[in-house]
Amino acid sequence: MSDGQDRIIAQVRATLREAPEAQADPRAVAQLLSAVWAAPRPSAWRRFLDAWRVPALSGLGASAVAAFALFAGFLARGSVEPRAEREPMMATGEFPTPTGAPDAALAGGVPVIPAAAIGGESAPVATQFVLDRADARSVSLVGDFNEWQGGALPLTRLESGLWTATVPLAPGRHVYAFLIDGTLMVADPRAPKAGDADYGREGSVVMVFAR
Amino acid sequence: MSMHRRVITLVALVLASVSAAPALAAQQGSVVLPIADARTRTAVEREIARAAAKGLPVQPLIAKANEGVAKQASGERIQEAVASLAKRLEQARALLAPSMSVAELASGAEALVNGVPAPMLKQIRASWPAERSVVMPIDVLTELVVRGIPAKHALEQITALMRRGATAAQIASLGQSVQADVVAGLAPDAALEVRARGVMSLLPSPAATASLAPTGSRPPR
Repeated sequence: MSDGQDRIIAQVRATLREAPEAQADPRAVAQLLSAVWAAPRPSAWRRFLDAWRVPALSGLGASAVAAFALFAGFLARGSVEPRAEREPMMATGEFPTPTGAPDAALAGGVPVIPAAAIGGESAPVATQFVLDRADARSVSLVGDFNEWQGGALPLTRLESGLWTATVPLAPGRHVYAFLIDGTLMVADPRAPKAGDADYGREGSVVMVFAR
Repeated sequence: MSMHRRVITLVALVLASVSAAPALAAQQGSVVLPIADARTRTAVEREIARAAAKGLPVQPLIAKANEGVAKQASGERIQEAVASLAKRLEQARALLAPSMSVAELASGAEALVNGVPAPMLKQIRASWPAERSVVMPIDVLTELVVRGIPAKHALEQITALMRRGATAAQIASLGQSVQADVVAGLAPDAALEVRARGVMSLLPSPAATASLAPTGSRPPR
């Protein structure tokens, strides 16, 4: 993770500590944090700054603006209120289960915001997803938490051939699937199935909650 | 243009963007859907714009369109799915009033499509104070119904827990435990009964709750 991402996360944490609990939509928070963590490429914001050639804002300044935008977002909440958490993948047992340790270190160095910093039970919960698919070239996670955007949440391949990702998810019921090699969508074989009345493609379900 | 002016202009643009976000979201003009077919894309955007005009949240609708693309659904099916979700969101908003959070409306819409009877959302909402999110009780009710438990039975257990002061995590643990039991082969009704009993045993008795809770106090989150 870059220094810039570290700074943004630090400022998000600081902003959340100061924000009244009732103003912080945990799903929006999870979406924001996941977006920061899962962004290996130059962001649109970075490209925008580069276009403007404003060095003074391309580093720490950008982080400050991001924190400001987050704060402004809280104020505007009500008319702009995303449901979604970006992220998750879990499972690996007989069914998907949250790690239950909100502030534990996560696979891949993904940080987790302590529940107390955001608001008790409504805080995002670190959730691990695992897929045994050694023949895959790439695996990503799609679901209601990231608006089903393929590629936004890539899994990491381990030497064993397992793919894994641990991500913060807002408490609640989430439907998800794995996207293999960018085209093949499969349900999590270790998780309970979720029907799909709209598109007829079965997914998986995970219940997330702070233990 | 001097560096100073550029910075000021940049900050002004950020402020303008933040303040204009609700209006832009409402108009839906800025939403770029990853739908290749222009006709379908226009039709879906029109559905989303209609929903926005009614004050419904657009993020779930965008997600539904994206889901259809990810699942390689036909354009017609994507359009139908988005329109159907918009109707469910509107219905959920009426049932869950005064709740207005996107998360609650999305959970309510998901409950409806999974077979939870509409009046039950109203009963869930009424079981907790208006300022307290009912996302978790709704999500657990949905999961229980999906796992084959009669909705009436599931609702009774969940609302009983809510009224006894169960936390959202305790209610969630009920849902997850039953889910695991059913996946492991236990009969859904039996799983609910035994797990609800387990969670209930962790809660103070009704008499103790009444004597300890000061008037007007809020239940634990």
